[in-house]
Amino acid sequence: MVKLSIIAPLVYIVVLVGTLAVFSSLYRKRKAKKAASLEPWFGPHYSRDIYLTLLHQENPKVPDSILKAALVRRATEDIRRIVTIRQAKGSLQQLLQRGSIGDDLWTRFTVAEAEIEEGEAREKLIAVAQQELKDVAMEANGFGSEWAASIFQSAHEIVQATKIRERAAEVAEQAAAERVWWNEKRERASRELLGENSDEDGVLVESSGSRGAARPGTTTQRKGKNAT
Amino acid sequence: MAQSTDVFVVVPIEMDPTTKAIQALPSSNDPLLARELEALNNLHRTLKSVPEITNGIPPPPTSVGPKRSALIERMRQTGNSAFKKKNYSEAVDLYTHAITMALTRPPWEPSALLRDELHQLYANRAQAHIGINNWPEALADVNASIDLKRVGNPKAHWRKGKCLKEMGRHEEAKEALEFGLEFGNDTELAHMLKEVNETLSKRQ
Repeated sequence: MVKLSIIAPLVYIVVLVGTLAVFSSLYRKRKAKKAASLEPWFGPHYSRDIYLTLLHQENPKVPDSILKAALVRRATEDIRRIVTIRQAKGSLQQLLQRGSIGDDLWTRFTVAEAEIEEGEAREKLIAVAQQELKDVAMEANGFGSEWAASIFQSAHEIVQATKIRERAAEVAEQAAAERVWWNEKRERASRELLGENSDEDGVLVESSGSRGAARPGTTTQRKGKNAT
Repeated sequence: MAQSTDVFVVVPIEMDPTTKAIQALPSSNDPLLARELEALNNLHRTLKSVPEITNGIPPPPTSVGPKRSALIERMRQTGNSAFKKKNYSEAVDLYTHAITMALTRPPWEPSALLRDELHQLYANRAQAHIGINNWPEALADVNASIDLKRVGNPKAHWRKGKCLKEMGRHEEAKEALEFGLEFGNDTELAHMLKEVNETLSKRQ
């Protein structure tokens, strides 16, 4: 009886600690695997790959003017990524606190952050990002003295100008959509006015209905009536 | 960007020997790559088309070609005088022209300048549209103007309220005017908000 009372708690503790250890290691392994397989926040860095591919093309050799343009594109993409992360950080943190986004998206985001700017853990990835900016600066100075001083400024303006142009491109689309809505609304109003006076005027209803399609139910009904 | 710093992916591209344009090999059909190549070729063409650039390097965004700015400003002034003469559709055309000129500025020029020109031109064009009761077009223009500059742009906020009110969207007009008033008090904005609120309370 005495022996048992000593062994029992020992066994209990060993089993408990063992289970916890196994669970913990399994959990961590799974989590690490999951983190590793997460899609990177940004897609492939095309402009970097294009620049380096062109730089190494021999037959025929790519002229400097194209290489310079390609380097500007590469710097632009680097800056765009940094700006995106800075802007996304605040709003993402808020969303996470409110529970609107899952931990998965958050992990992806922090990985991306570490890739480009100073993060906490991923020192290797930080080194990659710093190296990328340094590489671009070095390439720039290779083309023209002191270009490194202004290439990122130019890149920043290009990023901003691209955003402004994208917004400007939406204007015509929005105007067209609003115009459709407004014409329909006016037609509907005039039809209602006419409808009160001459309800059996099927031709008018059909022609305006097919253009506006504001009250599809009514129009199909009238159309059917006309056909028979 | 998780890739290492000293390796890169060779992308399937080649240079057209005559046009010097970079194009994807026929075997590739990656739309993102095609888009990036188009952007690259456009940038290269723009860099070549500016006579002041002799070394193929975009100048730092501290200086701008004065010619384009002067042209845009003149076009805007012509639009303004057409507007004053109540030639509204002519004014719309002139402002549209000025907008196109601003949008074709070289992309490396200071973006603050572009933003400034555009928010003004869109607000002006909206006013010309309002002159001929083109409420939907005017609304699209002021929306852009406000997106480009929210603070210190009370005219655009007022015009947005006006368009929505005229189209019978009083709730939206109320929201737009209240939003505009967040960026500073303005008697005309407050006046229209009062009108809209009166219409809304009558309805209930």
